Parts: sequence; structure tokens; C-alpha cells
Amino acid sequence: MKPTLTPTTPSSLEVPAAPRRPLRRFGADLRRFFPYVTTSAAASLKTDVSSSHLGWLWWILEPLLFMMVYTFIALVVFQRSMPYFPVFVFIGLTVWQFFNRNVTQSVTLMRHSRGIIRKVYIPKQMLMLEALSVNAFKSLISLALVFVLMPFFKVPFPVRVWQILPELLLLVLFTFGFSLILMHVGVYVGDLSNAIHVILRLFFYLSGVFYDITSRVPAPWNYYLVRVNPVALVMASMRSSLLYQTDPDWIWLGGWTLVSAVLVALAIQLVYKQENSYAKVL
Amino acid sequence: MEHTDPSSAITVRGLKISYRTVRSFSFKTIFSKKHNMNRYEALHGVDFDVRRGEILGVIGENGSGKSTLLRALAGIFSPDEGYVNTHGANVSLLAIGVGFQKELTGRENIMLSGLLLGFDKKTIREKTDEIIEFSSLQRVIDSPVSTYSSGMYSKLAFSITAVLEPDILLIDEVLSVGDRRFRKKSARRMRELISNADRTVVLVSHNLESIRRLCSRVLWLDAGEVRMIGDTDAVLAAYEEYMD
Repeated sequence: MKPTLTPTTPSSLEVPAAPRRPLRRFGADLRRFFPYVTTSAAASLKTDVSSSHLGWLWWILEPLLFMMVYTFIALVVFQRSMPYFPVFVFIGLTVWQFFNRNVTQSVTLMRHSRGIIRKVYIPKQMLMLEALSVNAFKSLISLALVFVLMPFFKVPFPVRVWQILPELLLLVLFTFGFSLILMHVGVYVGDLSNAIHVILRLFFYLSGVFYDITSRVPAPWNYYLVRVNPVALVMASMRSSLLYQTDPDWIWLGGWTLVSAVLVALAIQLVYKQENSYAKVL
Repeated sequence: MEHTDPSSAITVRGLKISYRTVRSFSFKTIFSKKHNMNRYEALHGVDFDVRRGEILGVIGENGSGKSTLLRALAGIFSPDEGYVNTHGANVSLLAIGVGFQKELTGRENIMLSGLLLGFDKKTIREKTDEIIEFSSLQRVIDSPVSTYSSGMYSKLAFSITAVLEPDILLIDEVLSVGDRRFRKKSARRMRELISNADRTVVLVSHNLESIRRLCSRVLWLDAGEVRMIGDTDAVLAAYEEYMD
């Protein structure tokens, strides 16, 4: 019996009729390729595990070890601290690692997927989504560890825990939109993979992963440094919600979420418009 | 709107594919006028139709644009001008081992590669046993692909594509992989795939005997243009004369 097929290619590659709206097309593609995205993400995680002796333990060990390194540097070398400092650092690292991993991978994603994109048609956003899913899974483990560490460091029960949902939404939207744009630029600009390491290092120090921007940076810079960088905003907001039982800056949080949603929409459109040229370059 | 033959499975009109503005550049060349100025037009306005159930052969010298044409039909390259219309059918470029992850088992790679080729999980599950049987890799199918020999790898990769069959099949050279026995089996399977009356096939090959045996019509590409299209014997005779 002939198998039921799901189309792998657009039925028409020209534009004789009005093209589908990018977001509607993305929704349809997402439904169609969702099984591939999830299966491939699970396969990547499995490959990750099988390529090291300690396997999945590294997903726990890595953020824990980094937490110890930065806590040591901050407490012993710079003699700076905050209440619940190790958890403070751990939250920062969890947010940072998610952003950092996605952005770093996005730049070379099309080059590394050359074998696929030169042989079959797949909406390229799906490849970024797969990488994002893998990194999200690792970050969720890290986030779960935050909750394990909290009673250990005598952090009061976080009654505002629900607040991390909109904060995580902003992180995911911004990271996805930003990564898609870098994925596109990375196809054409070979040097971007080198430059991005320097840019990310600057971002890392400006985001307050292991120090508190509000108390350590003089006013008025501290106000803007936390708010003009959405990664720093998410870190500060999650710490407010989980450690210090305060509200985040909802206006900036809401504003950045809107901006990030627009960024995602524009990035999806950009990639749809340009993706069939990628195979010509790579 | 351009008139198209209702019996067409693929309609190609004024197809131009060029590589002109897509050269990768580095920061070193940003301020140089040389960056991005390379232009290479692989196809210069190609028109043709492929009828439903037809096997169209594509011939031409190296660099004539055959592989570019096939990739444009598969949706991998976008036209710079003109269009390709596949009238809603499912098109697949016969791609061997696409999406394989070497740390995964053969069985897991069947699922991954099948999903990437656009098949749904249910279909792949239904076809998995047939794929394994065809590949003759029953004993190692649950071992990581990294432990396979290159012959075993090719057998599995071929079997996935050969058993999961699309409506329109695009083939860049008739494939023959594995040991002698498997080569015969794969060649037979390929003939079955191609000869299925419901399936439209576009076959690119340098092997004129394969083209003569399998194709009902032939398109001769020369430097990115259609030099001739028509009856297999007539086009092959003209091509052979030109090549001599």
C-alpha cells in the first residue's frame, strides 16, 4: 500500500498566487515538522549523553561547578556578596547558559546542517527550534536544581514563583528571535562565529551573572543596564521572584516581551524569504 | 497567468538560478568592492513540463546545470526568476543518509531520516520492518550506526529512501551501493521505483544506457539552457553526435 505522505516541499516555488503569511506558514510548518523537531532534539540529547563517561550528569555538574567557580571569585577574590549568593549566581548561570548556547550555535547552525539543507527542504526555523529545544531541556534541569538548592541555602519559600513564567517567556522569545537573525547572518558572514565569542563575553559581564548590577553599578547606569539588556532583565526579575519576594519591573518586562515577539515575527519572515539561498552559499 | 498543461506533474517556466549575490564574505572584505560581486548563472530561463507518470531523463555535460535544476525542483534552491510548480504533489530528491546521527541505532535513524524526508511517524513505523528486511541488517539494526561499515551504512540509507516512496522522485545518478548482491538488489528496486506508472521521475545521469532504458523523454541541458527536449532516441542521438 502506498504510504501517506506529508509534503516535504512547497507545492509551488514561484509566487503565482499570493504567498501565505509568514506566521501562518510557520504555524503549519511547525505542526508538520514538530515530530522531526522533537525526535531530532531527543536524538541530540542522547548523542550528548553517549559521547561522555558521565553522560547526563554533566547537565547537572556543569552549572553546579560554574556556580562554585563564580561564587569563589566573587566571595574570595572580590569579597562581594548578596543574600543567598550561590543561588543568586546559579539563577544567573541558568539564564545565561540558555541564551549563550543558542546564540553560539545559531551562528554556525546552517554550516553544520549543510548535509541536510543541500539534500532536502526543511524550513530552516525548524533547525533552530531543534537546537533551542535541546538547550531548553538542559536549562530546565538547571532550573529544577535552583529549587533543590533553595532550601539548602535557607531561601524562604518563593510565593511569587509563578512570576518566572512570563520571565521565561521573554527569555525564550528574545533568544529565538535573536538566534534566528544570527543564524541568517552567519550564512553570509564567515567571521561572525569568531566575533560572536567576543560579543557574548561582553554581554556576559554586562548581564550581572555573578554580581548585582543594581547595587554594584553607579546610578543612573545601573537602572538602564538592567533594563536595556533583556537577558539581564530576565536574570534580575527571576532573582526578584525566587529569592527576594519582590515584583519585577513589569513595564519593562512587558515591553521587552512585545519587542521580542515582533523580533521573532520579523526573523521568521526574513528566514522564509532568504532560506532557499542558503544552500547556494554553503 | 501562464497556461499549463493539466496533465503536467511539474511545470517549469523561465527558471533562472544564479549564485550572484550569495557569496560568503569575511569582515576583511566588507570594505572591498570585490565582495559579493561574483555572479554565476547556472540556469538561464529554462521551460519544460513533466507529465504525470513520466520518466524524464536529464543529460548534459558537467556544469550544464543538471544538479541545480534538480535542487530547484526539490525546493532546495529558490528561483531567481521564473517558477517551478509541482501542482501540490510531494517531491523528494533521492537523498541517501540524510539527517543520520552516527551515535543513534539504525532503527532510530530510520525514524529520524524518514521524518526529515517528510513522512509521518505512523507511516515510518509501518515501513520500518520492510526497510530493515530490505537492508539485510536485522542483526545490527539496534546497534549505533557508528559501528557500521561504510557498505552497511549505505545499505541502510538506500533502503530508507527506496522503501518510503514519494509521488515525484528526483534522482541525481542512479544509485548503486553496497556489495555485489546488494547492488543488484538496489538496482532492481530502483527500476521498480522508477517504473511505477503512478510515479513521476526526473532522472539525471551521465549513463546514457540507463537513460535509454528507463526514460520516455529526455531533456538536454547545455550551459544552463534547454538545448533539446523530446523523444529519448532523438535527443540521445543528437547528444551523442555533439559529444563525438
